[in-house]
Amino acid sequence: CVGSLEDNFNVDPKSPTTALASGFIANAERTLARTVVSTNVNLNPLRFYVQYWAATDYPTESRYDLNTRSIPGAFWNALYRDCLRDLREAKATIPNDLSVPAASKANATAVAEVLEIYTWATLVETFGNVPYSEALNFTNARPAYDDQAKVYADLIARLDVAIGQFNPAANTGLLTGTASADLLNNNSTALWIKFANALKLRMALTLADVDNAKAKTMAEATVGKLPASNADVIDLAFNGTFPNTNPLYEDLVRSGRTDFVGTSFFINQLKGTTGPVTGTVDPRLNDYFDPATNPTPATNLYNGGTYGGANSPETNSQPGAKLRAQTLPGVLISYAQVEFLLAEAAARGYAVGGTPESHYNAAVTASILEWGGTAAEATAYLAQPGVAYATAGGAGATYKQKIGYQEWVALYNQPVDAWREWRRLDYPVLTAPTTAISGIPVRFLYPVVEQNINGANYSQAAAAIGGDKVETKLFWDKF
Amino acid sequence: QDRTISGRVTDRANGQGLPGATVLVKGTTVGASTNADGGFSLSVPSSATTLSISSIGYTTVDQTIGSENTYNVSLGADVKQLGEVVVTALGQERTRNSLPFAATQIEGDQITAARNPNPINGLSGKVAGVQIRQSNTLGGSTNILIRGTKSITGNNQPLFVVDGVPISNANTNTATQQTGGGGYDYGNAAADINPDDIATMTILKGAAATALYGERASNGVILITTKKGRQGLGVTINAGVTGGRIDKSTFITYQKEYGAGYGPTFGKRDFNGDGVLDLYNQLNADASVGPRFDPNLQVYQWSALVPGSAHFGSPTPWVAAENDPSTFFQTAMTLNNSITVDGANDRGSFKIGYNSVRDKGILPNSQVNKNVVNFAGSYNLTSRLTASASVNFSVVDGKGRYGTGYSGATSENLMTNFRQWWQTNVDIKEQKQAYDYQNLNASWNLTSPTNSAAKYWNNPYFSRYKSFETDSRYRTFGNVALTYKVTDWFNVLGRVTLDSNDDLQEERYAYGSVGVPSYGRYNRTYREANFDLIGNFKAKITENVSFTGLLGANLRRQATKSIRATTNGGLVIPELYTLSNSLSTLTPPTESDVRQAVDGVFAGATFGFRDMVFLDLTARRDKSSTLARANNAFFYPSAAGSFVFSEMLKETAPWLSYGKVRVNYAEVGAGATAYSIADSYDKPTAFGSVALFSVPSTKNNPDLKPERTKSAEAGIEAAFLNTRLGFEATVYQSNTVDQIIPINVSTASGYGFRYVNAGDVRNRGVELSGFVVPVKNDNVTWTINANWTKNQNRVMSLFEGSDNIVLTTYQGGVSSNATVGQPFGTIRGTNYVFLNGQKVVQEDGYYAQTATANEVIANPNPDWTGGVSNTVSYKGVSLYFLVDVRKGGQVFSLDRSYGLDTGLTPETAGLNDLGNPSRNPVADGGGVIFPGVQADGTPNTVRADNSGEADGATAYGTTHNPAAAFVYDASFVKLREVSLSYSLPKAFVSKVGAVKGVDISIVGRNLWIIHKNLPYADPEDAPSSGQFGQGYSTGSYPAVRTLGANLRLSF
Repeated sequence: CVGSLEDNFNVDPKSPTTALASGFIANAERTLARTVVSTNVNLNPLRFYVQYWAATDYPTESRYDLNTRSIPGAFWNALYRDCLRDLREAKATIPNDLSVPAASKANATAVAEVLEIYTWATLVETFGNVPYSEALNFTNARPAYDDQAKVYADLIARLDVAIGQFNPAANTGLLTGTASADLLNNNSTALWIKFANALKLRMALTLADVDNAKAKTMAEATVGKLPASNADVIDLAFNGTFPNTNPLYEDLVRSGRTDFVGTSFFINQLKGTTGPVTGTVDPRLNDYFDPATNPTPATNLYNGGTYGGANSPETNSQPGAKLRAQTLPGVLISYAQVEFLLAEAAARGYAVGGTPESHYNAAVTASILEWGGTAAEATAYLAQPGVAYATAGGAGATYKQKIGYQEWVALYNQPVDAWREWRRLDYPVLTAPTTAISGIPVRFLYPVVEQNINGANYSQAAAAIGGDKVETKLFWDKF
Repeated sequence: QDRTISGRVTDRANGQGLPGATVLVKGTTVGASTNADGGFSLSVPSSATTLSISSIGYTTVDQTIGSENTYNVSLGADVKQLGEVVVTALGQERTRNSLPFAATQIEGDQITAARNPNPINGLSGKVAGVQIRQSNTLGGSTNILIRGTKSITGNNQPLFVVDGVPISNANTNTATQQTGGGGYDYGNAAADINPDDIATMTILKGAAATALYGERASNGVILITTKKGRQGLGVTINAGVTGGRIDKSTFITYQKEYGAGYGPTFGKRDFNGDGVLDLYNQLNADASVGPRFDPNLQVYQWSALVPGSAHFGSPTPWVAAENDPSTFFQTAMTLNNSITVDGANDRGSFKIGYNSVRDKGILPNSQVNKNVVNFAGSYNLTSRLTASASVNFSVVDGKGRYGTGYSGATSENLMTNFRQWWQTNVDIKEQKQAYDYQNLNASWNLTSPTNSAAKYWNNPYFSRYKSFETDSRYRTFGNVALTYKVTDWFNVLGRVTLDSNDDLQEERYAYGSVGVPSYGRYNRTYREANFDLIGNFKAKITENVSFTGLLGANLRRQATKSIRATTNGGLVIPELYTLSNSLSTLTPPTESDVRQAVDGVFAGATFGFRDMVFLDLTARRDKSSTLARANNAFFYPSAAGSFVFSEMLKETAPWLSYGKVRVNYAEVGAGATAYSIADSYDKPTAFGSVALFSVPSTKNNPDLKPERTKSAEAGIEAAFLNTRLGFEATVYQSNTVDQIIPINVSTASGYGFRYVNAGDVRNRGVELSGFVVPVKNDNVTWTINANWTKNQNRVMSLFEGSDNIVLTTYQGGVSSNATVGQPFGTIRGTNYVFLNGQKVVQEDGYYAQTATANEVIANPNPDWTGGVSNTVSYKGVSLYFLVDVRKGGQVFSLDRSYGLDTGLTPETAGLNDLGNPSRNPVADGGGVIFPGVQADGTPNTVRADNSGEADGATAYGTTHNPAAAFVYDASFVKLREVSLSYSLPKAFVSKVGAVKGVDISIVGRNLWIIHKNLPYADPEDAPSSGQFGQGYSTGSYPAVRTLGANLRLSF
């Protein structure tokens, strides 16, 4: 009878009850990279928000409609349920996981912690107040939201602990069999330490407008521990086999659709027909975009569409071939980005070594090289008065303006970073289209489902941040 | 000169002899009663021509006396007669007057009246308390709801039992399909039964009637009793054919003023090399918010650019298509044939049947065939021991079932294409011509003038002929039983039943289509075995007190195994549909292996006092494998009583033919979904050689307790004036509490769902049914049957003070919810903003919308449902029709949400209040004034732009309106079934050799939607069965009017 069978009947024979810690970390790495690099209209509309791209036939999302496609919910779910939960499981698994050598257990835990902090920071920088202290506890179906500044402070404290926990003498111990199971940094503890410090630098400058002293201390503490060349880019190498291809490939190629073209705002500046670098064609233009398939007139190969409207995919330039490759890596932190952050830190007077200009030059050069350009191209580009740090932006241009423009151009394929840096530096100046249903979003709305199932906490959080609106500025977004 | 005629009278339902029946020579007083075995013998005068055979509770039969001296007659139960025998739980036969609960028994011929090949659909409108919702797809699923939705996330479909065999009514559609995404509707499995084999269907509605069936009984039970072999040898043949055309009131009507585009512009390009730029339309646009038609404009359209088109290479006038997509549909055709051979003698009986249904749908290249063979026999081994067995073997083969729901660009559902994303300038006949040329994807929706690859949509003919699915279900169900009569008052039944299903579904997405071609297959096996041992007692305790009882045990074992695999990245060789033809490395298939077991013991007792007062008691204890050991056994009782008050009023109220009141209370417990008590991990497709692991989205719970449905019911039944008039009324309330639900939790908890015991869903309602026989004489009988059901559903509580569970989210920014204080399944989305009850219009002339998408905008539950049937018989001619009504309930239409946005329907064009085309720019006198008020409360005077110039959308669709704008009343009044039948006179028939009866009938189904409020669609159509997809209409298929003829021969 049932009694004799119940043990067998209760366990799904097709699902594992034991797992490898490395598998949870790899899965979280994959989800995280996919989420930040995606252009799926159901998940990540940020290439619209920073006006790199415009829509062809379906411009709704470029008019800042977040709810029809439940975009905030998808973004939130990916980070909480699919990244953070797996990272927690990894941490719980590591101590007893025989595949993680004893010498590497501390490193493996620190890896999970750094990824967790990266994910949390992305959540806070996207939504504002979020469930934190009560989160990731299945017995609490309706966790309360924590104050964004306090969460951020705690994340910084945790990051320092994690950095101290790394043992450079051992690898991270993340293995499937004998092969590395670390999709981001190939089991290199050295690279993980650089990643952690770069994240710290990034978070430092995010705080700079509201807590300059803390930002300074943090930024200065990272000197010498940061990614130092394009070889140190923190990215995930997607492979050529779906479902592990780059998500851009899925939405640009695999779908058979042509939903995106460059904006005239972006392409005209890359072409040098307008903007701070007028007269110079950006060496990244032909990497960022393909020539139009039906250019009108025939010489107008690179043409951008109207942001917020519907645009022809034929007469406008679609995203370039590099973005269509299945194996394009998904970048979490680029070396160019680190140099831009250092340039800004130097400009703010932090003792990070070098000058704003030296870091700026390194950043622009790294970006051009990252996209396949040559050192000569970079040098020639930097020689242009609209680019050269001393003269960029014209007389009286602030460092925010100079760095803001170049960082915006460079972060083309890091839309989450581009959106945050734009909100922080406020350059280039973007204008909402007349068809928009709101101002340019400086945060995501909370997921509708949170209103439905976590209503009281949602309302409290919405009130605390100043209203659940896309125009509500987050605590660090002072200007 | 007298002669002696003998024979046997049997009960048609079970073939057993009918004692005490009256056999009378018509027009005389000469007669006899049948003996204990139903046999009779009487001496009749030579002038006698007809025997009249009657018995209480049965329809009287007139038997012509011919040359033979032996007549075997079977009597069918008379539904009007309240003394009829009703089959109830576990096959117990009881007279209607002893039933203390609501149970409706329908005769097989009522179900097949309109020759519906799906016996479940044949129930629609006929039974109070039962809500049937048929889909318009070929072989599609049917949603059956008895007394409302009880379980928030579990199964709400009733249990089907055929001759004691619980059979699966599984819906094997994907979860995406069931929630309105893309996919095929493979129908559900109860439709596999041969309708011509059904003797009776009993619908047990409340828990008091079903409690003996255990945990699966909380949604009601549909008991099917198949026909039994009759004395002698009989052969019945049915041959029928029906044809169907779409009901145009349920398909979209297109505007004929504007053509393709997202905004009123043409492209320009020199196609013919004459140095002059030519016009081309927005080939890539899947909308009709384009330039105004003008026959003087010569425009390069898809037809100019796709080889095979008659206009290849040349521009054509800019006009509306001559053949719109309504001409895409073809005539549906169904051949429904069956033969039954049966016979019986003193030692036993047998029956063998075959039913073949060949069903061709309204879409090209669609066909579902059903072949059913069944056999049943019983044999009296000794006077005490009877052995019986039955087997039902069926094969259902589908090819080219219709795609359903919304799946965007690569949708297999052409209705989303025709209703939501279409160019009104595209002639569907020209699409056919272009496809026929080389059988390639000659789409109307081109990527660009220089790239004729399909952009968002495939050529619909290419889609139908190249991207078709195929499926099959091989099924066997049946039982083997031994009954041993220990004494006159005690017998024991031992029975083994089996239901075994093997499903294969293969889906193809052809090379050359939009997106990635693919081949996917899904193999599923389902086995359910039941082992029953039941002892039946029957005794008279005193002269006045009778007792029947049963004691039994049931072991149930279920196993479902499935595997689903799909090619990855495309196909290497076009049209080679095998997994090894995958372009990229195959993603590991998804396997599932679900086992469930329940052991139950049960007892029931019925006490009767003077055939006037009855008391039923039942108890059952189940032990379920799905719960943890500490909680896995659960007990539940029922008690029911009835009082036949007409017995007391026999003398004083002769006009009262029958009267009874009844009242009952019952509880039914239920276990959990398999594997919801222990956690395990997900193992996603490995990343290269790196193994991935993930915590599943659902958190399981080892502390789950059984859930429980508590149900109370009271009713009254009465008939008057020799049963010319009667009614039955029932009120009920059920509460399903401690539901085992994977509730939504904030994903900030790390999970999307968590299994808990929570919630209370209440259903209360009234069921009324009645009949009247206004005319009844020797020649004419006119009978009216009516039923009416009102069920009020309300979510009373949810988990720990949470007030909402999102059941599923749909395309279009709406979700289905269980909300405390609301009926189940409310649709939430954005709403209008109201000021003093008026809709607020913004400064730009469009309606203001709520900021949040969680406003309750629709309730999908009907206010009431009902049906009225009329049967008029005149001699051998009988006319029957059934009107099926649903009042209230609402539906959100994604077809409207997008179809209005893309400017497909007439209201998006035409003239505005100034008499100007509304699609002119506002500056040129165009635009529309939406009724409502401005923010300051004054009436709106601002014309909203309807030109699509700025945003490619009209003023009427999803771009400028809240979701609430696309909610419609889902009421309907349908002429559901019609039949006109003629039985050839016996006198004539008897001359034709062995033929006993010839019936010819003309039948019609869904001939006329008398009333509805959902424009251009059938409000009944939904993507699938189950609680998801209710109140949501997307890519809806038109209703099909079916007309046909049937010939029945009996020998």
